[in-house]
Amino acid sequence: MKHQDSPQLAGFLANQFPLIAFAVGTAGLALSAISYLVNPERFFFSYLTAFMFFLTITLGALFFVTIQNLVRSGWSVVVRRIPEQMISNFGLMALFFIPILFGLHTLYEWTHPAVVAGDHLLITKSGYLNLKFFLIRVVFYFSVWILLARTYFTRSTTQDQTGDPTLTLKNQTTSTYGILLFAITITFSAVDWVMSLTPHWFSTMFGVYIFAGSTVASLAAISLLAMILRKAGYLANTIRIDHYHDLGKLLYGFNIFWSYIAFSQYFLIWYANIPEETFWFTDHFRGSWNSVGILLAVGHFGIPFLLFMSRHVKRNLVTHAMMAVWFLFIHFVDLYWIIMPNVSKAGVTFAWVDITALLGIGGIYIGVLFTRMKKYPLFPVKDPRLSDSMHFENV
Amino acid sequence: MKKDVVSVLGEFTTPQTLLKAVKTARKAGYKAMETYTPFPVHGMDDAIGIKPSKLPWIVLICGAVGLASGFALQTWVSTSAYKLTISGKPFFSYQAFVPVMFELMVLFAAFGTVFGMLILNRLPRWYDALFKTKRFHTVTSHGFFLEIQAQDHLFDIEKTAEYLSEIGGTNVEVVKA
Repeated sequence: MKHQDSPQLAGFLANQFPLIAFAVGTAGLALSAISYLVNPERFFFSYLTAFMFFLTITLGALFFVTIQNLVRSGWSVVVRRIPEQMISNFGLMALFFIPILFGLHTLYEWTHPAVVAGDHLLITKSGYLNLKFFLIRVVFYFSVWILLARTYFTRSTTQDQTGDPTLTLKNQTTSTYGILLFAITITFSAVDWVMSLTPHWFSTMFGVYIFAGSTVASLAAISLLAMILRKAGYLANTIRIDHYHDLGKLLYGFNIFWSYIAFSQYFLIWYANIPEETFWFTDHFRGSWNSVGILLAVGHFGIPFLLFMSRHVKRNLVTHAMMAVWFLFIHFVDLYWIIMPNVSKAGVTFAWVDITALLGIGGIYIGVLFTRMKKYPLFPVKDPRLSDSMHFENV
Repeated sequence: MKKDVVSVLGEFTTPQTLLKAVKTARKAGYKAMETYTPFPVHGMDDAIGIKPSKLPWIVLICGAVGLASGFALQTWVSTSAYKLTISGKPFFSYQAFVPVMFELMVLFAAFGTVFGMLILNRLPRWYDALFKTKRFHTVTSHGFFLEIQAQDHLFDIEKTAEYLSEIGGTNVEVVKA
């Protein structure tokens, strides 16, 4: 080994940066709270969008950790600690869900018994869409995520101390049912929290759609975090260009998967032309929302498909970083386009709370992330496959 | 120099010794080299100085042509050649064209990949001179071979063969067509 990177985060990223993030986060949340007093309805929808943005990124990270453990992946060992740190934020995301509980009546039409009583479709769906079962599911989703995340994280960080290779096998065993639990929880939470904003709608693809978007955003976030650490002088010889290349390939592939799912959802509904299904797209293409839809087709699929195709773009960290930022941005646009037409019905309207909620949740999220990062090594220092991963070459 | 001589072939026992030999030979000025190994050896492409394949460009162009032909075909058929009203949708329903455009893109790209690969590798060939050598059959199990080809500007049957043994090659053979 030529040069061993320090696994210990120190200096600006470990000390000042989390404080800056906490300050931005607190300011963002405070400003969002003020906007709640002005316009509670707008606040809840913007907050839900920001919440979903960070939740989906965390879920994508859970998928990454699970799948890498499951397939006994060698190349990704050096990268794995970053998503492991991200999924440890599920507890924080559970706290961020609390404000949404106060907005259930504003967000979700089906929580009003009077509305449901006069609506045949909602009566039929009320076996699933009722407040009690909804809350049970909320507890279930967060329990599953927090437990899975803690299990992976604790084993992986214990291994940093003991070097016990059986912990790797145990994580692999957990990931077998972990991937099933992940598939169920991400699908149903997407249905519960986002799709049920329009409870009359039918789409069997919605869960996969959110899953595809979260994986794209999460891979972009993992790449970006690794590059931020690299810029600060960490992991430069550990997470090498070959690893970024592979992250880029996964990102590119999952972005095409997103496009495929997004188009399939639209296409089947367009073809069948049944009013119970088409109204969702009519609502989401109304006025200037139409331009956002076109932006998604071009910006989430067309532009990245052409620009991010070449291996040179994936292996060049400047272009890779630019694409990763773009993927995160367009993922936010995607969620914005899914959620916001429910409150801003005639077309796109901008409100400051859209940004302050994002900064609020994001600031605290990043602050907690970097505070935890300095407590643990930046890569799994005693993973049995670490050497494989460090010598990994991408052909 | 005899006309039927194709190359000189040397055998190595491990991927590391082969890789080292390739690097040495490259430094000595040899350019027309080829290696044969039971499995891909990391770093070999760089060591030989192989240029990136042109195949991705062929595939990209074929894919684009496939996409365009899928679009053109369906537009022509459904807007002028054979107009059919399908569930009341406009004749030019580009949404409905997408699956066929996608499929034709994949088909053309796949053809481009397979036939492009064959053409770039000059395949199929009836036989390869290497098959006539004594040792080359071990390449599928444990043999690592370096071949210095006759078109190299430094190539000279005796000197090159000697050079191959010098850099660690064993069972050096002259390959004849």
